[in-house]
Amino acid sequence: MKRFAVGVLLVFLLCFGFVALGNTQETKIKAGFIYVGPIGDFGWSYAHDQARRIVDDTYPWLETVYVEAVPEGEVEGVIDRLINQEGVDIVVTTSFGFMDGTFSAAQRYPDKIFFHCSGFKRAPNMATYMADFHQVYYLNGVIAGALTKTGKLGYVGAFPIPELKRHINAFALGARRVNPNAEVLVRWLQTSWYDPAGAKEAAESLIAEGVDVLAFTEDSPTVVQVAAEHGLPSFGHYSPMYKFAPNFVASGQLVHWEAIYFDFFAKVYAGLYTPKNLGNVDYWWLLREGAVELGADFGMPINPVFEDQLKSTIVNDPVYGEISVYDLVFALLKAMADPEYAFSPFTGPIRDRKGHLRVPEGVRLTMDELITMEWAAEGIVGAWPGEPE
Amino acid sequence: MRLRFQVTRRLEPSASMVFFVSVLSLLLAFLVSGLLFAFLGISPLEAYRVFWRGAFGSLYALSETVKRMIPLAIIGAGLAVSFQASVWNIGAEGQMLIGAIVGTWVALFSPLPPSLLLPAMFILGFLGGALWGAFAAWCRNRLAINEIITTLMLNYVAANLVLYLILGPWKGKTVRGFAYTDPFPQEAWLATIGTTRVPLMTFLFAFLAALFCYFLLTKTTFGFELRVVGRGEKAAHLAGIPAQRVVALVLFLSGGLAGIAGVGEVSGIHHMLRHPAHISLGYGFTAIIVAWIARANPLGVLASAFLFGALMSGQDALKVAFGIPFQVMYILNGLVLLFLIASEQLLYYRVTLRVAPWGEKEDEYDRVLD
Repeated sequence: MKRFAVGVLLVFLLCFGFVALGNTQETKIKAGFIYVGPIGDFGWSYAHDQARRIVDDTYPWLETVYVEAVPEGEVEGVIDRLINQEGVDIVVTTSFGFMDGTFSAAQRYPDKIFFHCSGFKRAPNMATYMADFHQVYYLNGVIAGALTKTGKLGYVGAFPIPELKRHINAFALGARRVNPNAEVLVRWLQTSWYDPAGAKEAAESLIAEGVDVLAFTEDSPTVVQVAAEHGLPSFGHYSPMYKFAPNFVASGQLVHWEAIYFDFFAKVYAGLYTPKNLGNVDYWWLLREGAVELGADFGMPINPVFEDQLKSTIVNDPVYGEISVYDLVFALLKAMADPEYAFSPFTGPIRDRKGHLRVPEGVRLTMDELITMEWAAEGIVGAWPGEPE
Repeated sequence: MRLRFQVTRRLEPSASMVFFVSVLSLLLAFLVSGLLFAFLGISPLEAYRVFWRGAFGSLYALSETVKRMIPLAIIGAGLAVSFQASVWNIGAEGQMLIGAIVGTWVALFSPLPPSLLLPAMFILGFLGGALWGAFAAWCRNRLAINEIITTLMLNYVAANLVLYLILGPWKGKTVRGFAYTDPFPQEAWLATIGTTRVPLMTFLFAFLAALFCYFLLTKTTFGFELRVVGRGEKAAHLAGIPAQRVVALVLFLSGGLAGIAGVGEVSGIHHMLRHPAHISLGYGFTAIIVAWIARANPLGVLASAFLFGALMSGQDALKVAFGIPFQVMYILNGLVLLFLIASEQLLYYRVTLRVAPWGEKEDEYDRVLD
């Protein structure tokens, strides 16, 4: 019994000893990033973390910490810890599923600043942001439409939400600009944003149906690798996937979250953004702002392996006339990145696959219409949960 | 003459022995974890400090620990009963999800008046989980299918059922196409204790479940029958104890408690049905270990559930403080388990070093550990 008592005493002494150790204070701005996935996923969370590192390295007054693989229901607890334990001034939450937790934390910490990615709830101390790929997907579609021999393009999507529907529509519209009969066959994973096994299965089944070019939305390079095994071109998603299949990644969608973070943090530092005036701050950044980039790798809009084929494919474009697909891609890229925003993929007339006129002639969809898009463009084949009648 | 280890069996380890050896193995696990931290370039002392503060160091830290302890304790109490009967219910995760599904149905789709929502959620959630568990009992009793297999596989059925519902018929109107249900009405939210996120009702349930299961096991005829079945079904049969009925009731009860934990998570934490991996942080599986470490004693489950709640919450603090890869947490959990399981041998066997003359006949244990 005596030994037992001594043991208990020892345990407690040890434990309280650790608590007594020092505590440090920081004076610069500190931001805490919360990711839903692992930063090693080569997708969404990876891209956010790359951007975090860049702004952290660039701004000497900014310190950042991050927490990865946070379950959605746990976000409030992690925010509490970031604020109370790490003393962060700004909390950045990077998943739609974190919206309610972030919003509720924003009410509880009115002096802290919250920055939520991809949601729609804002507060005086909570702003939102998104870097959207629909323009880049349109350009990927143009390239894919020229590369396909079967006329069938494959798309592996994680969840049938408006963001993916918008992207797949843009991809199909782009493809049909150069290849009016092209079809986009869609497979939904509906399991997880990170599901390499499901993505492999979906890609294989698409290839079995005759698809010869693949694009996707899932947070791993799986589809790129499966396509390469079959010798088929594909488009990287979120991070530079050129390195996973240098002969087969034709192009892809790249993100520069740091463009948004640079702007936001600098404005907080300068006192322009305060916990009182963020109610209408919503970043919706595109090619023009440099938040997204077309490319298989940074600085490589089109993989040189495919250059000759695209240069020798001549189409008769309604706007640019006789033009090679290669030149068309760059012409469109220039038009979309231009400060006047000269071209939008969703410019009418556009009909959905059921024949309804979704965008009348001469009209361009607004941001609200883009982020709530449910219809499927002509040429899309396959299930489309939530498709309007 | 030579030195040799001699291993002798202890019949019944004393309570203080169990406590002391368990704490010792935990400390050893932390010591080895320290090496891991050093390897990651983090001062082990600093890591211990963060862990301790994150799990116990403040009222907030304690509340986060208790928040995790609640589902573990409720499920663990039921599993303790089930393990006492040698019924290996590995399906608490699925039973919990079924509870969450039933609770969600009541909260969002039932025609009940608001004041009856919460009671109905818990009662029907219990029944849902209980019937999910009882199905495995039916398979065992009628079809002679091992309950380990059925309960385990039913976990995946339940998880996919949740996915089907949130992607299909129950997908919310207000969630922009994402895979969630709409949020519950406020009347279906559990009140929390003060400013913490600990739901008061499930906090009380955790203690009630432990007391109820303890009472059931030690003070009732059914508890006695159950323990006899656990020691030997044949003996139970010869004593006239209906083993099949015991198996069915045990799975009904442990499934039902898991169902209550599931309702607690959706109405206390999430206020909606969402991806199964986010509803339950593996509580149904962790509770197996919780019950096992408590040696299937429902009161002991309260302590081991608290310990595992602290592990989860302390690890959160580590993740936040050091930005270490989340997989490291799995290693930490693995180390704790490894040491706890390894220490089992020390509880039941006494190891002594002694001088043995040459040529002495080796006994059984010597040969094993010489």
